[in-house]
Amino acid sequence: MKRILENIKIAFKSLALNKLRSFLTMLGIIIGVGSVVAVMSIGAGAEASITENIQSMGTNVITITPGREQVFTGGGEVRVEAAPGQGRVFISRFGEDEDEEFAEEDDEEIVAGELYLEDVEALKEEANLLDEVIPFLSSMSIFSYMSWSGNVSVTATTEDYLDFAGYELEKGNFFTADDVSNSSNVAILGYNVVSDYFGKTNPIGETVKIDGKNFKVTGMLKSIGYTFGMSPDNSIYIPITMAQNKLYGIDTVNQIVAKVESEEVMDDAIIEAKATLRIQHHILPGESSDFEISSSAQLLEMASTVTDIMIILLSSIAAISLLVGGIGIMNIMFVSVTERTREIGIRKAIGAKNRDVLIQFLTESIVLSLSGGIIGIGLAGLITGVLSAFTNLSSPITASPVIMALSFSTAIGLIFGIFPAMRAARLNPIDSLRHE
Amino acid sequence: MDQKIIDIKNVTKVYKIGNIKVNALNGINLEINRGEFLSIMGPSGSGKSTLMNILGCLDTPTSGSYLLEDVNVAGLNDNQLAEIRNIKVGFVFQTFNLLSRTNITGNVELPLIYSKGKSSKSRRDLISKVIDSVGLAEWVRHRPNELSGGQRQRVAIARALVNDPAIILADEPTGNLDSRTGEEIMAIFQSLNRQGKTILFVTHEIDLARHAGRIIYLKDGIVTGEEIIKDPINAQKKLEDMPKLEDKINSIEENALL
Repeated sequence: MKRILENIKIAFKSLALNKLRSFLTMLGIIIGVGSVVAVMSIGAGAEASITENIQSMGTNVITITPGREQVFTGGGEVRVEAAPGQGRVFISRFGEDEDEEFAEEDDEEIVAGELYLEDVEALKEEANLLDEVIPFLSSMSIFSYMSWSGNVSVTATTEDYLDFAGYELEKGNFFTADDVSNSSNVAILGYNVVSDYFGKTNPIGETVKIDGKNFKVTGMLKSIGYTFGMSPDNSIYIPITMAQNKLYGIDTVNQIVAKVESEEVMDDAIIEAKATLRIQHHILPGESSDFEISSSAQLLEMASTVTDIMIILLSSIAAISLLVGGIGIMNIMFVSVTERTREIGIRKAIGAKNRDVLIQFLTESIVLSLSGGIIGIGLAGLITGVLSAFTNLSSPITASPVIMALSFSTAIGLIFGIFPAMRAARLNPIDSLRHE
Repeated sequence: MDQKIIDIKNVTKVYKIGNIKVNALNGINLEINRGEFLSIMGPSGSGKSTLMNILGCLDTPTSGSYLLEDVNVAGLNDNQLAEIRNIKVGFVFQTFNLLSRTNITGNVELPLIYSKGKSSKSRRDLISKVIDSVGLAEWVRHRPNELSGGQRQRVAIARALVNDPAIILADEPTGNLDSRTGEEIMAIFQSLNRQGKTILFVTHEIDLARHAGRIIYLKDGIVTGEEIIKDPINAQKKLEDMPKLEDKINSIEENALL
């Protein structure tokens, strides 16, 4: 133990003698460890935030989107067909021709169906395991108030949405069932929309324009933060019928979400919803459905797969930096052994065994690499700290990447230090003493 | 204990340089008794250095036997040799061979780092004792490059003494020093010898060799002669007779004034 401490002291002393060289050598490890830890922490933070978002919506939520059924093949691989219907809202604003083109394509290719408000009604009626069924129609629209205007995401939905999403109102009221059935031109503004366009003015009762149509503001939401990379704070909520009839002139919806009574009956609920919609869409047995149903659990799984792949990808790039850093350490250790040949000779003449010299140089390379690792962790802390200061993404550095980084940098010091240390240990004392 | 500290018999050393064999030692017989002060004299290429390396366990003989305190060193491996060097041999080199980046204490401590079983207190005591004994107590925090040549050699002697070795091997220890400083170093060796230390001293200057009690003459890898010095030069006395440098300068200045 005492010998180890002495070796560490010697190592620090000799590294301190070449401060710049030691720092430059460490840089590879610092950058490598820093990026690995930062990437892992950010990845874990992102995953946690996605998971939290999905879970805040409830793990008992299913999402129905138009398009061909997801086909699960062996090995859990997911094949997702394009869902042209989803693009419809955006396209329909440019002209009717393209609508027809799509219709033609649908006919000859596949059943890429649509979802309608009738489907929502049918699900409410027939699917007993579903508690709440809510349709969505979302798009980017031009929003203007007085002389200011800009692009804002507009979510058209029903009166049940507020409860379903768990949002709270800052001021005013959400639109009502009457507003939905009457296609009222009322709008609920997200927190940031209000602060961007109204500043401190009370928006309630003001008239705003969405894609040129007048809307009356009846409420505003409390600040919520990010959900799925989109912020409800930057959105506007309007009755879905209003969007269909007066804004876009269509009768379809983007997606339908529904709450299942409980997680246990999730599979049954999906089967039930599927059966209901197939009847509603007149799909014959043997034909594939023209819609997809996914549960939040599936979403969760997909999100975590995506973030995992990102983490692996970025970490492997960072690992290359670690490798390069390790080679740098090996190089500098060889230089150090050559430079200190005489010192090695003196130590051996005075009684240092091969092992003593080996341990001395190995300690030095480990100290070099581990110091780099520790500084790298500090750097990662700085990066994630800055990141969470400027974005909503909180990514605290957890123990596991730190432990991993520390053991990796120790291992690098060991692996890349062993050859130079062995060369030092094998030096002949007589020749070394003659070395100039 | 046996009176003989070193007993080498018929030791040879052959170096191979490419295909050519060079016989550095051609059958050396040498006995050194406890408490002896011995000089080895010889011209360059006589095998002095090779003999010193073997005596100091830095190298092993090609053939022959070498008993160091009754242990046959000839058959030991690298690690065992390192241990012998650490415990039984104290080296003093011509070029001092101190660690330039370590202070005096650190340099003197070096042999202790590689030997086991001494508490740090007894280590500290030992270090300050040997540093005191060579008169460098005020310099412990300094590094070798802040010291004069004579002082550096005294650090090297302190380092050689710290593990209380069986023998001190000094390889032309005054070679890099002026004659007065060299004489001071010889005085230290003589004083150590009077305290019972066994000292082996290699030189090619007969005046220095005559400080020892016995001279071995070496040439072409064999011992060519032996001389017992009945009345060795007393370095302390010689120093007193030697004019100090400042006296010399003063006298030159006086002469100039006249």
